[in-house]
Amino acid sequence: MKTNGNPYIPHTATVEETWFETYGERCIKTFKVVFDDQEVRENWSHQPGQCAMIGVLGAGESMISISCSPTEGKFLRFSVMRMGKVTQALHQLEPGDKMMVRGPYGNSFPVDEWQGKKILTIGGGIGQAPLRPIVEYVRANLDQYEGLTMIYGARTSGDLCFKGEFEEMESCSDLSCHLTIDVEEEDWSGNVGFVPQMLLDLNPSPENTIAITCGPPIMIRFVLENLKKLGFSDEQIYTTLENRMKCGIGKCGRCNAGGMYVCKDGPVFSYAVLKEIPEAFA
Amino acid sequence: MSAMLLKKEKWPEFVEKLAGKKLWAPGADGDAMRFAPVTEGETPALDFNNTRVPPKEALFPQTETMYRFQLGAEEMEEPQLEDETVLLGVRPCDARAMTIVEKLFRWDIDDPYYVKRRELVTVVGLACSDPGLNCFCTSVGGGPASTEGLDLLMVDLGDNYLLEALTEKGETLLESAGDLLEKADSDAVKEKEKLVLEAEKKIKREVKTEGVPEGLPGLWEDPLWQNVSASCLGCGTCTYLCPTCHCFDIQDETEGFESRRCRMWDSCMFGEYTLHTSGHNPRPTRRERTRNRISHKYSYYVDKFDVIACVGCGRCINLCPVNIDIVEILKKVEEAL
Amino acid sequence: MELEQLQKTAAEVADREDVKYVIGWKKGSYGYRVAPGFIEDAAGAAELIFSPLCTANLATYLTLVEKLPVPRGQEADDRKVAVMVKGCDSRAVAQLLVEKGIGREEVVVIGCPCPGVVDPELLAEKYPETEETVEIKWTEDGFLLVRGEEEIEISRDELLAEKCRLCRYPNPVISDVMLGEPVETRELVEDEGVAEIENRDVDERAAYWEEQFAKCVRCYSCRNVCPLCYCQDCILDRLNPTWVNRAVNFSENTAFNIARAFHLAGRCIECGECERVCPANIPLGRLNRKLAREVRDKYGFEPGVDPEAEPFQASFKPDDPEDFIL
Repeated sequence: MKTNGNPYIPHTATVEETWFETYGERCIKTFKVVFDDQEVRENWSHQPGQCAMIGVLGAGESMISISCSPTEGKFLRFSVMRMGKVTQALHQLEPGDKMMVRGPYGNSFPVDEWQGKKILTIGGGIGQAPLRPIVEYVRANLDQYEGLTMIYGARTSGDLCFKGEFEEMESCSDLSCHLTIDVEEEDWSGNVGFVPQMLLDLNPSPENTIAITCGPPIMIRFVLENLKKLGFSDEQIYTTLENRMKCGIGKCGRCNAGGMYVCKDGPVFSYAVLKEIPEAFA
Repeated sequence: MSAMLLKKEKWPEFVEKLAGKKLWAPGADGDAMRFAPVTEGETPALDFNNTRVPPKEALFPQTETMYRFQLGAEEMEEPQLEDETVLLGVRPCDARAMTIVEKLFRWDIDDPYYVKRRELVTVVGLACSDPGLNCFCTSVGGGPASTEGLDLLMVDLGDNYLLEALTEKGETLLESAGDLLEKADSDAVKEKEKLVLEAEKKIKREVKTEGVPEGLPGLWEDPLWQNVSASCLGCGTCTYLCPTCHCFDIQDETEGFESRRCRMWDSCMFGEYTLHTSGHNPRPTRRERTRNRISHKYSYYVDKFDVIACVGCGRCINLCPVNIDIVEILKKVEEAL
Repeated sequence: MELEQLQKTAAEVADREDVKYVIGWKKGSYGYRVAPGFIEDAAGAAELIFSPLCTANLATYLTLVEKLPVPRGQEADDRKVAVMVKGCDSRAVAQLLVEKGIGREEVVVIGCPCPGVVDPELLAEKYPETEETVEIKWTEDGFLLVRGEEEIEISRDELLAEKCRLCRYPNPVISDVMLGEPVETRELVEDEGVAEIENRDVDERAAYWEEQFAKCVRCYSCRNVCPLCYCQDCILDRLNPTWVNRAVNFSENTAFNIARAFHLAGRCIECGECERVCPANIPLGRLNRKLAREVRDKYGFEPGVDPEAEPFQASFKPDDPEDFIL
């Protein structure tokens, strides 16, 4: 791929479409972007689970999960929560504006190894962003997997991302989608309760299944506990971590969890690896 | 490779011969604070113990522009690194540190800035005949005349310097000195060996590293971390002045419409270092940060690059405001194992 | 003061049920080094010392504690912290009380009247440091260096730290327990360090500070060691908005050093810790003392003397001088 030799120099991409997933002070905005340079666009390839450094010149860069599957087309999607300096700057971008992108970084979910298996994703809040590419990848290659179950929760129905896409999933018999919110709301017909509890209630069989979880650290901790209760082995469980990052290429030292660099050795880890790193759940 | 002798009185002339290249040497402002560019006509003195700030900044400046741009534009301009630089009087520990850090900067993806600067630099070492009180290089794979990372090693033989070229770059440098040098005879080499042995004997501090890299992760919850970090102030002295610490932050800095993306040293001893934007901090106290600092040097780095990321220069011991002493910490680690 | 009395008192305090630990000085790992010690029980008190090497201002640990959220079902440990203080250190405690940085009920103050500590750099320069720990004692009018069998008499003037030459409060201004007899307050001497810079013209002063600030590596040890730099959210760490860029260069270093000095105007109690810990040897004490003197001369305010005082930077009087406003 065209990298002009310096891995720190980003490629220019144009924002094609934006929309809000959630609202409020910490709203989540999704960006659909396309690289300006044709060569970069054609040669870019990423896998579900990988991240990219995206940013605005003058404001900085942040490591953000690529929330689309390569099967969706020659574009990238990022869902960004408005949190700090960089994400605030990103939120100012409208269609036609330029976003700086470098990557893709990190390892990916071993979706090829998982062929022939049932996929179970368990997400919470913005943690659904790195899981969405798995859902889309499996949907695009349904004949290679034994179906997909998605558990997804947030504090309120307004905090759920990608809502528009779930109805579509309901219509497909190989896919099932279970939504939950923390507290009761009017007009909410779905489940009420925390994600780890919903997992127990659904009681999925560990047989020939891969479980992938992402969400707030506290949720991940309880989901892992409950997956073990359900009989999942360490090798059947995957998660994706986030840590503060600056370079994305294993130099700046910021993202290490124990001896692992999240940006290069991760962000995807199987529980078999992760449980040996005490700092991973800190 | 060749070994030559330089009469001490010819040292200024030797330095003159290097004109045309950028020279860096320990600053002559009394306490040899750091390496600084040598101005024309100045002869750097070599009678220092070691600089407080390690020469790592010649390859990894505390603040480095990665590229410049105009706000609102898309073009990015990289700085041109092309000046050949000679570092004069680098202690062997600091040169070893360069080779250790280079492993990370070349891991999988080359860091273009570090790699370029490394290529452009010639490192002239100065063997230690009088190691400092807190030196323990011999415990971690180095020595007072270790040659790792050096292009040329100078040894103070009293009236002469013995100059040993170790690489092509070192050889070229010797050639440029031409007739200032005399061929070193076997007596000079013997004398050097004697001096090195004597210097080694002067090193009193020691750490035992056997079993430490494998054992450290097992001491995760050991009370020793609380004990050794209780008095820590959480400042950046130990990390900024460490020749192998290499962590950095990246920030965009703007004046008017002129903007640059730059990187600057960062320290894992700062709380802000790991703080997530959400407010969650995976290393919430100095206990976790101290544990990470030691584990990174003595375990994680060994796992990845097969070398301890500590060269035993003693700076963190010398300069810690509250006497947190890495040799003592490692003693406690050894006891706990 | 007798060592025995100090250790006995520390043991008693450490054993009190309402005390978490006693922070005192103990022998360091080598040479002249003295390290802060956190003593949790009577047995640990045997480690404590008090000597001319006890330069550290331990009051900084009162606000340096990083509090983690208390796990559900557990109760917060709100026992007191006991801290040993010299005269200057005690002013930090008093100033923290003024600012409500700590509550009086949170702390037990063990006062140590102080005849003045040595300048560690000067000491190491004149009497090179060795591997084995060395003891230094106070004598009638100076110091006694004890190294093994060897004893060296050193005059007070030769090694006394600069801040101690100017000290006006050698006896703790606040204490719950006082160790030993008060020491004599010495005659005021002129602050030559500040005067020397004041006597230069403005260009020379600018050049002087430019040279000094250019050395700063921004390790923030001066900020972190300062008992009165305890903001939870320091503007220097803030990136949004960025008050001081993280780049290390003359202008950012100047912004940092001036912000630090100004935030301490009317608060600095002149313990000299910032200058002692600075790895770049920037004479921060001069900067702080200059501001302290301005505040004293113009406003008649002296921080850290009266725990009941109103904080200087939060009090306004209609007749406050305003002649410095351009």
